[in-house]
Amino acid sequence: MTRNNVVTVLDPRGQPSGVFGRRSSGDNPGTILSPRVRPVDDRESMEKLQMAERLDTLEGKLIYLVDVGFPGSKEFLEELAEWFKENMPSVKVVYKQKKFDPYSDDPELWEEIHANKGDGVILGVGG
Amino acid sequence: MEDHYNIPTAPIVTARFADYILKDSRSHGMLLRYSFPPHPVGFIPRSHLKDYIKGNDPYTGKPLMQEIIDALTKPLTEEEKNPVVPKRPGHPRLLPPDTEENLHRLFLESGWTDGLPIVLPTEERVAEMLTGTDADPNQVVGRMSIAYYEEKLEYTVEKVAVNAVMAGCRPEHLPVLLAIAATQHPSLPSSTTSFASMLCVNGPIRREIGMNCGLAALSPFNYANSVIGRAWTLMSINFGEARPGDTFMASTGHNLNYNNMTFGENEEDSPFEPFHVEKGFKPEESTVSIFRGWNVLGLGLGNAEEMAKVLRNLPSMAPTGTFVMDPLVARSLIDEGFKTKEELRKFFAEKTGYPPFAINFMVVGGQTNPLWITTDFVYTETESIDKWIPKDGIRKDKKPLRMPEPLVCKDGICTLPG
Repeated sequence: MTRNNVVTVLDPRGQPSGVFGRRSSGDNPGTILSPRVRPVDDRESMEKLQMAERLDTLEGKLIYLVDVGFPGSKEFLEELAEWFKENMPSVKVVYKQKKFDPYSDDPELWEEIHANKGDGVILGVGG
Repeated sequence: MEDHYNIPTAPIVTARFADYILKDSRSHGMLLRYSFPPHPVGFIPRSHLKDYIKGNDPYTGKPLMQEIIDALTKPLTEEEKNPVVPKRPGHPRLLPPDTEENLHRLFLESGWTDGLPIVLPTEERVAEMLTGTDADPNQVVGRMSIAYYEEKLEYTVEKVAVNAVMAGCRPEHLPVLLAIAATQHPSLPSSTTSFASMLCVNGPIRREIGMNCGLAALSPFNYANSVIGRAWTLMSINFGEARPGDTFMASTGHNLNYNNMTFGENEEDSPFEPFHVEKGFKPEESTVSIFRGWNVLGLGLGNAEEMAKVLRNLPSMAPTGTFVMDPLVARSLIDEGFKTKEELRKFFAEKTGYPPFAINFMVVGGQTNPLWITTDFVYTETESIDKWIPKDGIRKDKKPLRMPEPLVCKDGICTLPG
């Protein structure tokens, strides 16, 4: 095989599998920190996920500000609450901090928001 | 919240990660309505945050607060109501034929390498590499993604052999690489925090393929240590789809990603049981054990109390620690009264407050200095190599390729009494 000969080589890349990593499950919070736990989803189950119907307005609604735990999230959401107070005072905002770490699920908090008839959630700040 | 409770959400992510997060959202079939303030929001004055909130989303150019309000109130589009996860085409087995020069350029410019020269994976070379195992070349070994939530790529025995050729391996190394691939863990998992990985081989295969477990085992003086560590990263790039700024987000990156601190444990000179035996394997079994973390502190000198002090003061995101110590250190610890790794673990757990299972000890080195390396590495997994070894034994070259052996004392005066 000389330098200018044409050669055939194999593609080194893996093939798409239709299997995706899933965020940690509700009964297993904190799993992102464990490299041993690797829940997965497939294409079919993900295509069944539905977004919620949107609100007609935010006026008079109960909106949860959920702090995911990245640096600056708390301060950002506090400033966001100030903005609502000054610009849309009829919106009731409630600040909540998600448990564990930024990557884990917090099913108890989602249940609490649902039970308290929260109308919407602003979640942040990823970064 | 969206799917389970039917509560609309407005997720906020800083603009630095806009492309990444939108792709992540699309590939999961949910077109979540993100808003993107400038990056970062951490460790900056409040006045900046106020300006961010009153200002525009730098990614879309639209007012940030209006985007957040719209995210919660604008009616869903048909596309949003009917999620579709995009299906990606597979790659053909063979690349279009070309000259060596052009193919080297293609591999480099496509991001399929670590930037160092590779061996082109021709059909002949891959076929020869596959003689290193009895496994069917089409057997699926696993799936991997460096970005935790993204679509995983599936790889076969042949794909592992392709990357082994690229790394400069010989067939004798293939069983080790198949075991690494079978863990399905990338050596460079994507995180803004820049992960490092470590790879330890235990059992008879260490010596059979000429791995260095002794003097300078962690330095670039051993063929097997070098190419095995490199191959793990090439597999992670090509099976895990590592693309900087797209899927790979490590801010500084980590130099250990080139070779992943690959070594064989110095079982012969260690007074403790080998690491794989701790994990339930037999001494005569060969295994790979993998670890990951961030910090490696090289110059450790002193007794167990000092080791615990250093670990306790090592800044980390996880309460974990793995010591990589010279056999002289291991023997000193025995002299201090620790008879087993379990006793050591208990001592270090009490001193650091870390859980005992999260503290590990590996023995490697050539006994020229009683030094230990402190890491915050978490133990991930141990995988058997034996099932990938041909039934007739490891496939070695007639004259196996070996770098010069380190000069070691052979008269016993270099070691403390066992």
